[in-house]
Amino acid sequence: MRKSITLYGMTFSLPMAIWQVMFFLAPLVFLIALSFWSVKNFRMEPDFNPDNWTRVLGRAVFWQAYLRTVILSAVAAMVASVLAFPCSYGIAFKLSPTARRWAIFMMVIPFFTSYLVRVYSWQIFLSDNGIINAALARVGLGPFPMLNSDFGVMVGYLTLCFPLVVLLQLFSLIFVDRTLIEAAHNLQCGRLRTVFEVVMPSAKVGLVIAALFCFILTFGDFVSPLYLGGGDPPTLSILITDTTKSGQQWPRAAVIALTMIATLLCVAFAAVSYAYRERGR
Amino acid sequence: MSPHNRNQWIDWGLKLYILLSFAFIFAPIAASFVFSLNVDRFPSMPLGGFSTIWYEAVYADPLVWEGLRNTLVTGVVVSLTATAIGFGAAYTDFRYRFFGKPVYLALALLPPTIPVVILGLAMLAFLANIRLSGEIYSVIIAHVVMCAPFAMAIIRLRLSQMDPSLEAAAWNLGASEWMAMRHVIVPFCRPAIFAALFITMAVSFDEFAVAWFVSGLHETLPVKVLGFLQGQVSPRINVIGTFVFLVSMTLVVLAQLLLMKRSAAPKAAGKVE
Amino acid sequence: MSTEALVVFDGVIKKFGQFLAVERVDFEIRKGEFLAIMGSSGCGKTTTLRMLAGLEAPTEGEIRLAGKRINDLPTWQRDTPMVWQSLALFPFLTVRENVEFSLRMRKIEKAERQRRVDEWLERMQITEFADRNVAHLSGGQRQRVALARSLVTEPEILLLDEPLSALDAHLKVRMQTVLSNLQRELGITFVYVTHSQSEAFSMADRVVIMSRGRIEQIGNPQEIYRAPRTKFVAEFLGSSNIFSGQVTTAGNGMIRIATPAGEFDAVSGAAKALGKGDKATFVVSDDRIQLSNQRPETGNALRASVVGEEFVGATAVVHLENPAGGLELKAQKSHEELEHLDLSPGAQVWLSWRPEAAHILPGE
Repeated sequence: MRKSITLYGMTFSLPMAIWQVMFFLAPLVFLIALSFWSVKNFRMEPDFNPDNWTRVLGRAVFWQAYLRTVILSAVAAMVASVLAFPCSYGIAFKLSPTARRWAIFMMVIPFFTSYLVRVYSWQIFLSDNGIINAALARVGLGPFPMLNSDFGVMVGYLTLCFPLVVLLQLFSLIFVDRTLIEAAHNLQCGRLRTVFEVVMPSAKVGLVIAALFCFILTFGDFVSPLYLGGGDPPTLSILITDTTKSGQQWPRAAVIALTMIATLLCVAFAAVSYAYRERGR
Repeated sequence: MSPHNRNQWIDWGLKLYILLSFAFIFAPIAASFVFSLNVDRFPSMPLGGFSTIWYEAVYADPLVWEGLRNTLVTGVVVSLTATAIGFGAAYTDFRYRFFGKPVYLALALLPPTIPVVILGLAMLAFLANIRLSGEIYSVIIAHVVMCAPFAMAIIRLRLSQMDPSLEAAAWNLGASEWMAMRHVIVPFCRPAIFAALFITMAVSFDEFAVAWFVSGLHETLPVKVLGFLQGQVSPRINVIGTFVFLVSMTLVVLAQLLLMKRSAAPKAAGKVE
Repeated sequence: MSTEALVVFDGVIKKFGQFLAVERVDFEIRKGEFLAIMGSSGCGKTTTLRMLAGLEAPTEGEIRLAGKRINDLPTWQRDTPMVWQSLALFPFLTVRENVEFSLRMRKIEKAERQRRVDEWLERMQITEFADRNVAHLSGGQRQRVALARSLVTEPEILLLDEPLSALDAHLKVRMQTVLSNLQRELGITFVYVTHSQSEAFSMADRVVIMSRGRIEQIGNPQEIYRAPRTKFVAEFLGSSNIFSGQVTTAGNGMIRIATPAGEFDAVSGAAKALGKGDKATFVVSDDRIQLSNQRPETGNALRASVVGEEFVGATAVVHLENPAGGLELKAQKSHEELEHLDLSPGAQVWLSWRPEAAHILPGE
């Protein structure tokens, strides 16, 4: 209650501030500086050189990758949102409280399983002589190439973010006022129309945020596009890992990373302002 | 909604859809478990036969053991550090109002929203520049950044369930700020503190991207898995996946149990001396 | 009870940023008294109590406890235990451990702690619950634990912040008895903050009435009830027959006041200093008003129209209004007294009262 800063208060508040300034904020700021450094004889030198920016942004390969990444993530956000909605709606409105608690618990489990192992598993399912094609061959179908395609990338992206999208949608659906739904029925709004005209607008914030998180997660993922999509043409995150691990072109990787951050900030800002925009004045 | 407004067909349809969703989520997890016990190198249907040879192969691989050791060291140090820092930040948010608090909270909570490739690159470049990269402690530094927000969120949630006059009541009964911290705040948060320890450890256990960037030669187990993924097909991934899954699930279930027993018997939680 | 001051509030002001929570209070709390601080929410009563406990620091002025300035004394170094509105029992400790808490904080040795905890558990009749979780107790039992926890250090003063507000009516009355008996037996000072008039008036030796960060009146319950000092106090106590106007004549212990509803006589009493032309306000309590169909020959009288009737057990309260005077009026009568009157809404009746029944508010 005292206004003055006490040793006691500092003991608890400062560690987080110091750690995140030193090891979270500083690296991100350093990334900006790094993007202007120059590389000579495979060595990086501090510099103020816009060369990396013009080189990277001047190449068609970069813009192809950029477009591909944005489209893939946007499609993933839409597909995940559409596929997750019936699931989260069912959990929120059709399950008993006990079943709902279990469903939520089950949805949390994937966060603590290795994403890599799950991607590897999908390779087993999707490869040309994998489980699915073997099953289809028995009834005389296929083989359908599913690995190393955009379909494979989508499966990987859904593996990554489907549970999160369901949970985020779920938490906004649970808090939709049930009397609003009864009022809609009472005003002769049909079952399906009530979902579209009452439930979804009421849960708008959660639905938009869920799609946004799906976009952010897939935008930065390099595992699915590489191991399920084949990595060719590359996405931005594959470009970053390639550029980083092959030699000392870190400044160029920094340029790509900063473009990604700028894109994400724009998308996040647009999504959040759309989510919280209110009708009327 | 009252029962008579329900349509049985829609209800069952949605429930079936929920089951299918879970099938999609758990199919790869279950498959990796099943194939880890399958004798064939190249997984296919029908199954080749039960075998533990891949477990033996993994057990005999010194590289796996080294990775596991790195993972464990990282996980333990990260969970202790991240929980301590997260607790401080949660308490700060609970108790104090100060200029610049939104910035403080943003710093404390934003790291999980930054894509891991970007975080990994930034960490690698920054830590290399100050000669801290390529060691186990590089992974630890990076993982604490990523895990502290989770610890903070879990403990903050617990603090919001606390009667705000509890701390003032302790002062009023003669406890100094430090004593009230020790005898009231910490005991109240104890389940959340343990939950945060387990959850952050589980997050660190599974994290591969940032670790891949900064670990150098000191690879953790998930980074090794990433290496296997680049190489030839090997059921060893399934074995390691099954193992990591069991460890993580144990931690999560423990955390869940702790968070569930809210006002458990004070005998267990309340003996302060 | 003595008249010696234990606590003195000396020109105390409390601001939260721009908001003036306590405008300026000067009063004393006497050693061994049961003092109630009463007012509606936001009047500054709780802030006043929290300043005494050291949970808020006064912006200006001085608080003295036993003659010593305590403004800057941290709350944990004052022995001013408080019973909280939420009770603030530690949910992770047993009943015994809750009661023991302040003894442990004061580093009292174990055997002595044991002895004093046992004594207080016994005294509050909660020995059988000693090892229970506080969450599993009833409201009344929790109340006793909170009291024992605060009193176990045997302090000179106990602060209570609306401790009974969560209880049902029956338990409330029972706990009121427990509190008054306890205070009398221990002989220590109780400072009791409440918004409930019945709690304050049934337990307290003296009552402080606060409004908008200021003290409106201090006195014993009978005094305040019979002679409210200001219009606020009169309204707060539920009097509705409040008349404001100007003095036309004064003398011989009588005073005549012209109001928009007519001229009325009153006994000057406490307001001897009033002279011609002064503003004056008086109240007439609702049980001292007579109702009749015709204008009575003597005394003050006023015509009003009936708004409605409210049954309160053996009596009825008739609500009336006099639009010309801007007055809302009430009369409380037994059912027999009302039999011969037409009390349908809109009906006209005469109100009358004797000059002695009018109390002039000295603070207006």
